[in-house]
Order: sequence, then C-alpha cells, then structure tokens
Amino acid sequence: MNWGLLFESYGAVFFNPQVLLMTLIGATGGVLLGAIPGMTATMGVALLIPFSFGMDLIPSIGLLLGIYCGGMYGGSISAILIHAPGTPAAAATLLDGYPMCQKGQAGRALSIAMFSSFCGGVIGALIMTFLSPLVADVAMEFTSAEMLMLAVFGLSVIVAISGQSISKGLISAFFGMLLCTIGMDPTYSAKRYTFGVKPLYSGLAFIPVLIGLFAVAEIIAGVERIINGEEKQETSNEKIKEVLPDLKTIMQIWPQIISGGIIGTFIGAIPGAGGDIAVFVSYGFNKSFSKYPEKWGTGIPQGVASTESANNGCSGGAMIPLLSLGVPGDAVTAIILGAFIMKGIQPGPTMYFDKLDTVYCVFAALMLANLAMLIVGCAGVRFFAKIVSVEKKILYPIILVISLLGAFSINKNVFDVGVCVVFGIIGWLMNKYEFPLSPILLALILGPMCEQNFVRFMDLNGGNFMAITGHPIAIGFFVIAVGTVLFSIYNQQKINKREAAAKAAAKAAEGK
Amino acid sequence: MKKTQTKAFANLVAAIILLVFEIWAYVQTLGFKIVKKAAVQPATFPQIMCIGMMVFTVILIIQSLLKLKNMKEDDPLAEPAASINIFKNKGVQAAAFVIVLCIAYAALFEVLGYVLVSAVVAAIIMILIGKRDAKQIALVSVLVPLAMWLVFYKLLTVNIPMGVLQPLRNLIDMI
Repeated sequence: MNWGLLFESYGAVFFNPQVLLMTLIGATGGVLLGAIPGMTATMGVALLIPFSFGMDLIPSIGLLLGIYCGGMYGGSISAILIHAPGTPAAAATLLDGYPMCQKGQAGRALSIAMFSSFCGGVIGALIMTFLSPLVADVAMEFTSAEMLMLAVFGLSVIVAISGQSISKGLISAFFGMLLCTIGMDPTYSAKRYTFGVKPLYSGLAFIPVLIGLFAVAEIIAGVERIINGEEKQETSNEKIKEVLPDLKTIMQIWPQIISGGIIGTFIGAIPGAGGDIAVFVSYGFNKSFSKYPEKWGTGIPQGVASTESANNGCSGGAMIPLLSLGVPGDAVTAIILGAFIMKGIQPGPTMYFDKLDTVYCVFAALMLANLAMLIVGCAGVRFFAKIVSVEKKILYPIILVISLLGAFSINKNVFDVGVCVVFGIIGWLMNKYEFPLSPILLALILGPMCEQNFVRFMDLNGGNFMAITGHPIAIGFFVIAVGTVLFSIYNQQKINKREAAAKAAAKAAEGK
Repeated sequence: MKKTQTKAFANLVAAIILLVFEIWAYVQTLGFKIVKKAAVQPATFPQIMCIGMMVFTVILIIQSLLKLKNMKEDDPLAEPAASINIFKNKGVQAAAFVIVLCIAYAALFEVLGYVLVSAVVAAIIMILIGKRDAKQIALVSVLVPLAMWLVFYKLLTVNIPMGVLQPLRNLIDMI
C-alpha cells in the first residue's frame, strides 16, 4: 500500500470542484430515480452515462458512483413510505421500514436508512481500499458449485423471514422458484409454462412482479380498509429535529450496520451476486442472532439498518473484481467498466501496477459518492417524510398510477402492466390468508441463479451431485445454510412460545 | 364461532386449492421438451419446485386438520379468517372493483394512453373511497399522470404510450 499516493489521490478527488459537483449531481439523480418504483440504479447509470462522455475519467466515475450509491438509498424511500421498493436492493427494507412508517416514524426510518446506507458504503469503500486484491482472489474461486451453494445459503434465510408459519413461508418460496422457471429454459431453450404467450418466453420480469406483490396489493387492501372503516390516517405528528439518527439509536443499530456492511461487501464482490441478495442474507443473519427475533418485521430500527448497510456495502464490493480483475460484479459496474474502456483504461490486475493513482482515485470517488448521498439524503428527509401525511384517499390512486408506470417502464411493455396487476391480486389474497410475500421475492432473486448453476454443475460433473464434496467453499456455504435453517426454526419456536405466553398473560390480566 | 369461519379452516381450503394448482403445474412439466444426454432436463427444476410445494402443502393440510380437531379457544388459528365474501363485505366489494379497474387499466393502457387511462382510474378510485372535493380530484388525477409522463418522456427518455392524446406529445416535441 502506497500511503503517500493514497492520501494524494484522496486529496485530488475531495478538493476537485468538478468531481465534487458531478458526484453531488449523480447522488441527487440517483436518490430521485431510486425512489421511483421500477427505476433501478442500473437504469439510472445507463440513462446518465452519456453526460459523462465529455468529462475526464474521475469526474465521470464520480457521477456514475454518485448515481449508484444514491440509487441504492433512494430505493428505500418508497419501500419505507409506500410499501413499494424503488429498487430490488431495497426489497428487504420494507420488512421493518414500512411498519415503522405505519407507527408514525417515517422520518426516523428514513434517517436510519440513510445513515446505515452511508456507513455500509463507507465500510465497502474501506474494504475495497485495503483488501480488494485479497477479496477478489477468494471471489474468483467461485465456480458453479460455489454459486449454487451461495444461492442455497441465500434461500436458507427464507425460514427466518417466513413469520409464524414456516410451512406457509416455504410454500411461498417454492411458488416463487416455480415462477422463475416460466419462459425459455436458459440452457436448452425449451419452453416452460408459456402457453403460446410470446411475452412469457423471456420469463416474468422481476420489477413488475415486485411492484404488484407489494404496492398494488397494498392499494387494493388499503381501499378495502377505508371502506370497512379500518384505515388510520397517518398525520405525521413526528417532529424531525435532527435529520440523522440520535446517539441512542446509533448505539442500538451499530452491530447491524457493521455486519450488514461486511456481508454486503463480500456478496457484492462475487460476480453475479448483488445488493438484492445481500440484503436478505444480512436481514436473516442479523435476525437469527438478535436477542429479540420476534420484534423483527414489526418495525424496528435494526431491521432497516441491517438491510440498508448491506445494499450500500455492495457498491464497494462490486468494484473489487472490476478493478482488480476487470470483471464487473454487477450490472452497474459493467456500465462503469464501459466508462473506463471509453477513456482508454482497461481495469484488471495490471492496473494496480500501471495506474495505481487511478485506482486510489476510484476508491476516493466511492467514498465521496457515499458522502454526497448522505448530504442529499439529509436535505431530503423532512420532505420525503411529509409524503405519508398526504391524505390516503389521494395517496393510494397516485401510488397506483406511478407504480403501474414503473412496471411498464422496465421493458416498455404493456404485458408487464398486466403481470403487475395479476401479482397485485395474488399478493392481496396471500396477505389475507397470511402467506408471507417476502419468500417469493427472495426466491425470484435467487431462483434463476440456483437453477443455472445447478444445471451447469450437473452437466460438468456428468450428473454426479456428490462431486460437490470436492468444493470446500461450497460445502462451507451448505453447512452455514443448514445451520441458519436450524437456528431460524429454533428461533421461530421461541418466538411462537413467547407470543403465546404474552397472549395468555394479557388474557389473565383481562380476566382479573 | 363455527369451525368453518376460523383461520385453521381457511388454511385448509387454501391448501387444497394450492394442491390442485401444484398437481396441474406438475402435469404441465410432463409436456416439456426432453433433451437427449442432458444431465438435468428442462422439466427437472420445475418438478423439484412442484414437489417441494406439494410436500409443504400436505404438511399444512395435516396441521390444519389436527388444529380443527383439537382447537382451543385461545389458539391463534381459532380466530376468524379474513373474508372474501363479495356479497356480504363492502370492503371486499370495493377491492374487487379496484381489481376490475386495474385489469381495465392494463387492457386500455396502449389504446387510450397512460395519461388518460391513469386520470380516469385515479379519479374513480378517489370517488370510490370517499373523496368528494371535485377540484382536488380533477387536479390530482390529471396533474400527477401528466407530470409523471413528462418526467419519464422528457427526462428519462422512456417512451410512454399516449393513445388518443398523441397530439399532446407532438406539441411537447415542438416546444
């Protein structure tokens, strides 16, 4: 590590007005785009990359990283406020963020999300700065066996997010995995469950399903509640004195922030795995090791912190294989790779020898992007928090038309609007009969990764699944997955017992 | 309360409906293309998923039957199940109406265009859930879709169908 050059590069980035301005513009655009359901950080980067053509490398990377980090946080805004994650990476944030909003703590949830995103991003940037060659070496050991078991490990979190009934959670998860098989088989191009409907050949798009299950289902249920007189209007009496969480809250959430940041960075460093997987792994991990797992999902700050630090930790993680190996960790870094190549720089192992100053400038730009995201977030918290005090009778129709537009905009396809509506109905019915929706989401994210790597692994090993024993990292993931499942079952039983005891105590008190 | 109105009974009914769906989904996989010499067939993964679903659905059926047999009053599953009776529950009627509206929205999205169909649907829903201020209804239902269309079309360069309001796009393009 060349410390002198590192400090010099940080200085060159942090005291360059053009880089500062571009990063701030990027973060603002990212937060706003991320907050619109259906607009992902990837789309934001793809849309705004033409603006970086005429700039030098570092300001353009600052702009793109600003969008990336801002988009990651922006996705949580709609997840917390309207139960519709703006981006797939914010999908787990709604588990505790939305209940916090319903409790009248929208501003607090937003500030926790913002602070955790910032800290997660900083953890990712620090790990990237000091450990990138090492992490990249481990990540590049991943073959189909490791990827398969990583997906299995991710799926093991389902038990933790299933709620009271594990059977219902697993039914939801298998249903989600079955949905992933709709369309052409990725290996042999065989049609599956397409029924001659051409738009189904490419499978179900993730975002319209996500918007349908959460946003549209919530609107249908909200209308039902209003008519039955069960809907409460949040008046947002919450007074937001500080835009950042107070010291007491920070003391509560720091373990989740650190573990989430580390999990996010590591998962982000694995090509093909991104924030959408990291958030669930972090949520499941932190819930399993919580002293009060029964409170997770009811609106606690730790739930928001664990997911938001993980998804921004991913931004640093995804840059690791890009810089050290020239392999993008996710779709956004693939676009950033394009920006490097356009400027005549080929990221890869030689970059650490030939262009070490550029590598350090990228580290600094990522740190700056997280700082810019924090500044934009702080400026917007009060405004965003006001959204919940809009009358529900006005808010629901607005959310509906924005959500359906978000579903359309992904592929510019009306069929996706129909898919969104169908999954809105399914989500409404599943909510009514207490089938958890989050396992479907996780299954939709991990299903394709699971199947593709399963098929690849079996083909490479002549159908011998036991060949997996020759992959120690894969076995490690499998053991952790089994441990997570057993621990989550034990935890759930503990939760059910505690809840039953609390109910019995309440009944006894009523009797007296 | 009758056992047929409890959550346990609702679980049983839901599980039976799911089982029928799972059997149908499994039968469908039998018609998938067979690839010679492939270690994993295109039907293998969906079949594993169907079987997984069936296993846990059967577990849910058994759990529900056992609960119905030995149900205690304070059991969480002895609580009344949510209603989907469209004839008795006004909330369900309204929800069903919103579903019909959403289906119509998807069907007419391309023909009438985003702005018009969104304005009509938003206005109908507002009236349905008790909003009576005509000015507010008109303003919100027209301005929000229009603003969203402008953001997507002009800033994000996403082409949104305008249907019968195509001249509006031409006008914006000219400006």
